[in-house]
Amino acid sequence: MSDLYLSHIRNWFWKSPPAEWLMRGARELLIGTLRQGPIPKHVAFEMDGNRRFAKNHKIETIEGHHLGFEALARVLEICYKCGVKVVTVYAFSIENFNRPRGEVKGLMAMAKVKLEQLVQHGELLDRYGACIRVLGERDLIPEDVLPFVDRAVEMTKHNKDAVLNICFPYTSRAEMTTAIKATIDEFTSPSQPSKAPFSQTRITQKIRSNYSKQTEGLDSIKETTSDASPGSDVDDSMSSATALDPESPPLQSIAARPRRLPNPENITADTLNSHTYTAECPPLDIFIRTSNVTRLSDFMLWQCHQNTHIFFLKCFWPEFDLWHFVPVLLEWQWRQKKLLEKESPRK
Amino acid sequence: MSFSAKDIQTYRRDEKSGHKTLDAEEREELVKTYLPSPSSRQRSSSRAKKQGSSRLGVRRFLKAQLYALLYLFVHAVFSVYIRIRIARHAVSNRLVAILKHHYNSPEYIARDVADLKKLPEHLSIILTLENAGKGDALEKLVNEASEVAAWCAAAGIPKLSVYERTGVLKRYMVQTHRSVSQRLKIWFGKHKAPPVALFARGAPPIRSHNREGLDLILVSEDDGREAMVDLTRVLTEMVQKEKIAAQDVTMDVIDNELSEAVMHEPDLLISFEPYVDLQGYPPWAVRLTEIHCALDNQGVGYQLFLQGLRKYSQATFKLGK
Repeated sequence: MSDLYLSHIRNWFWKSPPAEWLMRGARELLIGTLRQGPIPKHVAFEMDGNRRFAKNHKIETIEGHHLGFEALARVLEICYKCGVKVVTVYAFSIENFNRPRGEVKGLMAMAKVKLEQLVQHGELLDRYGACIRVLGERDLIPEDVLPFVDRAVEMTKHNKDAVLNICFPYTSRAEMTTAIKATIDEFTSPSQPSKAPFSQTRITQKIRSNYSKQTEGLDSIKETTSDASPGSDVDDSMSSATALDPESPPLQSIAARPRRLPNPENITADTLNSHTYTAECPPLDIFIRTSNVTRLSDFMLWQCHQNTHIFFLKCFWPEFDLWHFVPVLLEWQWRQKKLLEKESPRK
Repeated sequence: MSFSAKDIQTYRRDEKSGHKTLDAEEREELVKTYLPSPSSRQRSSSRAKKQGSSRLGVRRFLKAQLYALLYLFVHAVFSVYIRIRIARHAVSNRLVAILKHHYNSPEYIARDVADLKKLPEHLSIILTLENAGKGDALEKLVNEASEVAAWCAAAGIPKLSVYERTGVLKRYMVQTHRSVSQRLKIWFGKHKAPPVALFARGAPPIRSHNREGLDLILVSEDDGREAMVDLTRVLTEMVQKEKIAAQDVTMDVIDNELSEAVMHEPDLLISFEPYVDLQGYPPWAVRLTEIHCALDNQGVGYQLFLQGLRKYSQATFKLGK
């Protein structure tokens, strides 16, 4: 009986304005203090444990997800105030489509509502340079959510200061497969002639077409272009010949003039990296997963394979707050200092 | 609890009503108190600001000093805490290791794992080559690998993959195989020792007998991103030569190739470092792997291995459902 009263009194105390003002001051102080040290540029959160939290506190599962969203808002406030540039969150996995339909529908409705609200605050987002990106397999997003996703991304595309990557729906293996396929496509399309800065072929063609415009002979243009293309500069003109000359089937069947394709030996890890969804983001520094599950579960596998400090926390995601994040950040800062010390005496 | 209780209530009320009670401006007002001052892009130099800047300058200076001091203080406290934590873990780990030692006997290990519900089929460990390979670091590495192989054989885990970033073990495959076989003979007795088959990408496998025994796979940084880059090169060549079409390349094809050539997905990954850092471990394979790492751990210890097995047996794999 007295426990209940005590907890009521405690709650009343913590919710009272002076206590809240104190807490707010303490938080600002703590964040300002941590900013003096190295701050990670890219942090990833795997927001796990909403359903278990809901079960433990005897509320509906979808309520758990709503509380999870509030936790996300808190965490974003903390991260951006600390100076983190990019935050990536795992909102929805492709495997999560196997969940009960009611839950999936509820999650999609929540996504739609939140994105719709976000879109109304374009000016605020621009002021802070906030950018929202949605990473994942776009064709799996349901049709009613897709326009909101596109609008939110379009509206904030030009901002670069505070980036939020929402992985929805995402699996890391699908991302790596897409990156490999994109690299294959890049290296199997003939190199574009426009990549060369100045092309003698183009210049001669333009001059000749100017002449022919004066004389108004369309057939003569065609003849001159087909004459000009063979003998000109070697770099990428072979593919331009096949592209420009419409009467080239005999060229393609003759093996003597193969299509000049980029050499696959030039593919490096950076090439593959440039085709991943997080290509423009700095490398991942911290990876946090809540709810005491110690797996990566198909999230950011490519990005966190080295130089990423992975933390598995015991709390559930709706409970995640500054007091859980501060030890993580402190330990990361401490470890960074140690790594720097290890490297500097060697130099 | 960074948002005030009143604001949370307002927000939740608004949400329950389908976001009709508050409109866009009111929501912005609600949020504005929590937002930081906008970034340096907002250099709207109003004269009022410039006039008060001298006062603010002093205040800002003092604030910066306060933060710097607090930062030093917080980090000092944290260093002390971490050292105490490391010391405590070292002492308790040493005690437990002595009390529950396995005495190099497979029976002890078999007894320890007898009450586990499930065992991983494929265990993976990350080892670190100390001191950039100088001195007896290589010998130590081979010793550690042999120890873990012996534990796996005793526990009944059929496949073990050893990840070491530089891949130095791949250059000494014969010696590694010999060391592991000898360790198993010491543990199990000369005739009952399970045979060891040693695999590495790009090298022929070394087997002792053709029976079923322990499979030991050596993995290095080259088998991570570089292996995927190699696979991409091969696929690109095949598409360029029109042996396959670009849309035939699916996740299954890539998965199949990487599993066969490098290694299958491990069930459990144990890292003997004090913190979890994958050090270039193959990204494709580590999708659903349980990762076990004990805070402030030093070196390869049997208790960590056992803890990892216990954690694996308790884990539930829901696969997103």
